[in-house]
Amino acid sequence: MTTLSNHVPDPRLITAFAERRDGPLHRVNPWTKVGIVGALVLAVTVFDHVVLLAGLYGVVLAAYGLAGLPYRRLAGWYTLPLLFIVSVAGPLAFLEPGTPIGGALSTPVGELSVTWSGLVLLCELSFRSLTVVTFTLAASMTTKYTAVAYMLGRLLPRPIDQVALLTYRFTFVMVETLEDLVKAVLTRGANLSEFWSNRRLYARILGMTMLSAIEQSERLVKSMEARGYDGDITLYGDVSRPPLRELLVVVGSYAVVVGYAAVSVTGVGL
Amino acid sequence: MAHIHLGEGSFPLWALVLWTLIGAGLISAIVYRIRNGGIKTRQIALAGIGAAASFAVFQLNIPVWGGIHMNLTGLVGILAGPLLGGLIALVVNIFSAALGHGAVGLLGANTLVNATEAIIAYYAFKALMGMDWDVFPASASAATLGLSAGAVLMGAIIVISGVNGSALPRGDLTIAVAGLVGLNLGVAVIEGILTGFVVQFLASVRPDLVGLTDQETREESTGVTA
Repeated sequence: MTTLSNHVPDPRLITAFAERRDGPLHRVNPWTKVGIVGALVLAVTVFDHVVLLAGLYGVVLAAYGLAGLPYRRLAGWYTLPLLFIVSVAGPLAFLEPGTPIGGALSTPVGELSVTWSGLVLLCELSFRSLTVVTFTLAASMTTKYTAVAYMLGRLLPRPIDQVALLTYRFTFVMVETLEDLVKAVLTRGANLSEFWSNRRLYARILGMTMLSAIEQSERLVKSMEARGYDGDITLYGDVSRPPLRELLVVVGSYAVVVGYAAVSVTGVGL
Repeated sequence: MAHIHLGEGSFPLWALVLWTLIGAGLISAIVYRIRNGGIKTRQIALAGIGAAASFAVFQLNIPVWGGIHMNLTGLVGILAGPLLGGLIALVVNIFSAALGHGAVGLLGANTLVNATEAIIAYYAFKALMGMDWDVFPASASAATLGLSAGAVLMGAIIVISGVNGSALPRGDLTIAVAGLVGLNLGVAVIEGILTGFVVQFLASVRPDLVGLTDQETREESTGVTA
């Protein structure tokens, strides 16, 4: 039976964790989390040792657990990022030059083998990706709706901020609309397990979702204009500046990454 | 919707900077055009909720090859137009990255790929409808064309950038990436056909959405029937 996928994080669940739970990461300033995401992106880009990348991933994974977030859900959400890595790094593991692991397999197009370098590359790419995936999920699951909306309004230029704010507001509505449509066709005895024979049914579900979105947008225009919308959706929340100790952690993170990159470039070994 | 099928940190730093700058350039041009043309409330609302729908549709598992997910970027382009389509691509990528799908550092590259899909799908649909094609073949072909262009661009971006930590020559990397692009082209055909059916359905209930009748006319007639 096909329903909404459990491999993709449900924004409603993510927001519920942010609103209803309370852990150490919930109490961290949202701007600090944004800063750490940036430092992690930079770190996984410049770090070039598999052990270092594995260590960084371990730290982030531990932080995720300490924040009281569920590992079982995380394992399911890893499916797509890992699929993406394997789809490119999988072939690279075979093509990467180096010593074959356990000999080579003869094929009509030549010898086929996974090399040690290929395996290390696959591990490196996995650690790089999962480090940031884990932390962004942790940040999303520990930052309240109003704080996210406020930061979207501050970070993005107009009119992108307006579009993003409406998207954030209506994502929950659209997911429920889609879920209701799927439930409705399943209740009526439809079988969505095969695509081609149900292509028109899928098209109707998706078409109705888009139609519902468009008609909601048309209703929204009237209410926005009635309230005197002038290109600015007023935000009532506020996110204060991070405290000094968090600021020092962020600055320290960037300093470590930039320092590592500088040492790597100048050729000094670790 | 094609994506850079590599996670965070897979590109070297120079490539990350390059694609971010190009992506930012494209979005800046779109924002400039929108601001110059005078943005209407209707456009903001359509883009916002259209992006929410595109993001929500991604939650649906389509049972092809073990399960695929789509954002219907081609459909978004056809319905919202090239400028709003580009903005929707950016916003969907931001929200996807926040949920661990698509990388934060690759926002520029992914937006470039998806905006290309939306823009090409829009202009191809307009051109084919101008040649008196029926709605289904025009929208299916336009979406397939847009998504295929996105898949090829995605492959090109990976080959140009190279993979962080890989000693593979560009020629061998091209072979490795070609398989991925081929798979994406297959998905593009499926998504294109699905888009065709969706546009055909929308044209049957709201022909004004795909430019078959004038929106003003529809609003007037709705007023009478309501």
